[in-house]
This record gives sequence, structure tokens and C-alpha cells, in this order.
Amino acid sequence: MKKLVVLLALLAFSFASFAQELYVSTEPASNMPKDGIGLRMTQEGAFENNYQSRLIPEVMLGLHKNLMVHATAYLSDFFQSRYKAEGWSAYAKYRFLSIDSTNRHFRGAFYAKYASSNNPVLFQEINLEGNNTGWQAGVVFTQLLHKLALSGSVNYNRALDNRGGNLFPSNFAKESIGYSFSGGLLTYPKVYRDYKQTNINVYLELLGRSNIGTNQHLMEVVPAVQFIINSKMRIDIAQRLQLWSNMSRNGRNMYLVRLEYNLFNVL
Amino acid sequence: MKTLKFVVTAVTLILFAQVSSAQFIKAEVQVSGLTCSMCQLATEKAMKTIDFVATVEPDLNKNVYEISFKKGKNVNLDQIKKKVKDAGFSVSKLVVVFNFDQLKVSDNFHYTYGNSQYHFMNVGDKTLNGPVRLTVLDKDFIPAGDFKKWSAETKFDCYRTGVMGTTRTYHVTL
Repeated sequence: MKKLVVLLALLAFSFASFAQELYVSTEPASNMPKDGIGLRMTQEGAFENNYQSRLIPEVMLGLHKNLMVHATAYLSDFFQSRYKAEGWSAYAKYRFLSIDSTNRHFRGAFYAKYASSNNPVLFQEINLEGNNTGWQAGVVFTQLLHKLALSGSVNYNRALDNRGGNLFPSNFAKESIGYSFSGGLLTYPKVYRDYKQTNINVYLELLGRSNIGTNQHLMEVVPAVQFIINSKMRIDIAQRLQLWSNMSRNGRNMYLVRLEYNLFNVL
Repeated sequence: MKTLKFVVTAVTLILFAQVSSAQFIKAEVQVSGLTCSMCQLATEKAMKTIDFVATVEPDLNKNVYEISFKKGKNVNLDQIKKKVKDAGFSVSKLVVVFNFDQLKVSDNFHYTYGNSQYHFMNVGDKTLNGPVRLTVLDKDFIPAGDFKKWSAETKFDCYRTGVMGTTRTYHVTL
């Protein structure tokens, strides 16, 4: 089963007509342009026992050609019946490798994230998108090869006690390894003439996580579609599908809707 | 001995260097590493912030930008390269179009224009007249692999350093 999914994902993208690397669920090794600002509003939701959702406003800054940062806030009703502000995170990505030629590029980047949450710690999955306080460090490589854009990343996650006296349970794994494999393809337009042409991109991403020392693993596949409007605005629609998991978690099979707006040369 | 060789070469080159009334018309920049229209727009907007740039016309399908220059401003090709790099991409080709008036060129001929020198490579003996397209061969103006190839072929140190004495020296071919 596991092998089949990986094989299918590889196959799907070997037929790609043009590559795209503005992944929805992960970050590519490429950075934002220097002096650019990106504003994002993401909503994620899941229908488990009842409908629950999370709102994620985010600001992204291109500080240097090799360095970008994100500042993110998390609001949700995942842990109580009403919406509340539950936490924030800060993320930085440094591109250390860039090999460009006409139809291909290979890039590598290190990234790190610190997340803070005031939720009770109820689930074994370490989730730095609102659920847990903790930090993450990882590396990502992105390869654009003529018609194929592939990205792979691995990260280490360390959970800490949540704010508000919500301690991290001693019987939960404090550490996890996350990994991802992403591919993207531009389906429209076939020929570029104008910045006003809407781009339509489709993505398929595999997101995995393993808790260290407890033999707990999870794997999700995330198909997504993306519209880029006027070369400035981006709309992402994605659906997470859990392939397997033996760790307790919330927000299983979440959908995602995101609006992003980019401003250039403003810093 | 190495120093002597350098001095002799430098003096010879300076003697052969020539200043004339040519005009810089435009440049065409091909950018590599671009994968989306957002990246292309970011690159174009970055180039438009340069003070000597008048207009930037993109060919989105080929990732080529045609840049026209403001009259009376000094053109600095390194600035264009820097803006492309800051946007997160690389210059894979830069062609400058000069309007020449009966300029005789040969291999390793040096031509001074603005604050920079243009060192002709692999051109043979020719007379250039009217608009002529010159391709820049310096580091970060061509793919890294091509730069290595040219570096191996030329004896001139200025190719590797990009400067002769203190003058920025671009290396160009037809």
C-alpha cells in the first residue's frame, strides 16, 4: 500500500507538462523575492464529530535573496466550542544552494520554526500549526527538471509544554520526524503572453510523520488546485486525505482554502 | 615574470583600447530558474527599480526581458544581474545591443564605454556598423558550466576577475 501510493504520485508527475513549485502544504527550497511581502489568509476545516475549523493569517517577508520569514497566527474552535486565538509561529528559511540553468534548477534550503499554543495537549501528533508549542528544524530540496518539479523535505520536531499551564504529557513522544514529497504541474496557460492570464496549477503532496521511540506513524496525501490571478494573487484549495495513522490526532481529512496576495519591492 | 607579463598585456590592451561615439540601445536578459508568472512579475518589477532603466518588456514564454535605457544615464549591467538574483533567479543570457559606427574589432580588443570596458572574445577581425548584438560572457551572466568552459579557454585574468586594473571589464562575443 505504502509503495503503491509513492509510485502513483511519481507516475502522476512524470506526465507533467510544466512544473510548478508553489506548493500548498509545504514550502519549496526557493524563496520569495527580496523586498517582497506576501499576505495570506488560510482556513482549514474538518468534519469529525462536528464541524471544526482554523483561521490562519500569515505575513511573509523576503529579507534577502536567500532569507525569508513568516509570522503566523492561529485561531480555531478545535479545542472549545467558540473561536479563540490559540497561538502564533515564526518561521525562517535560508536558501543555501541554487543551481540554475535554462530549463532546470536545483535548490536547497534550511528552515526553522518556533510555534506557541495555549491549547490543552490532547493528541499524540506534534502539530506546530496551532496545537503544540515547540520548534522545528529541517531541510528541503527542490528540483525542477524540464517538465517535472519535485520537492522533498525532512524535519525534526520537538514539542514543549503549551502555554497556560497545559503541560506536554510525559507518556507522549516529545520528538517527531516529519517528511514530505511534493510535485506540481502547471496546466494552464499552455503559452504565456500576459501577466493577466490566470495560471491553474495542480499539486500532489505526501506528508508523513513518525514519532520518535513510540512506533507511531502517519501519512497523508494532499491533492490541491491553485489559481494565480494577475500574477499577484493566489487561491489554493486542498484536501488532506489520511492514508494511515496510528497516533491520535485531530483535524483528520481537513480541507484548506487560502488566499494570498503578493506585493513586490515594498520593504 | 607573471607580473611583467600582466603589465605588458595590460599596456598593450590599453593601447589598443578605443573610445568611440557608439550608443547603448538596449539589453535582452534571459532569466533562468523561473517557474511561475508571479516570479516573472517580481523579477520585472525588481528591474524597473533601477535608475537607468526606462522600460522592461517581457516575453513570458521565453523568460526574456527587453530592457531599454534612459538617455544620459550610466548603464551598469551588474545592477541588472543583482536585481535578478535578489528576486531569486539567475541570468542565463544577457545580450546588449550597441549602435556602432565603423568600429574595427578583433580578438581581445578592448572597447571603453561609460565607466566600463568591453573585452571582445572569439570575434575574429570585423568592422561593426549599426546595431550589433553582443553577448556578455562574464560570471553570473551565463550558466556556471559555460563560465567554467570559457575560463579554461582564456588566458586573461580579467575574465575570471571581471576587472582590469580598477575598471569593470565585461567580456563579450558576437
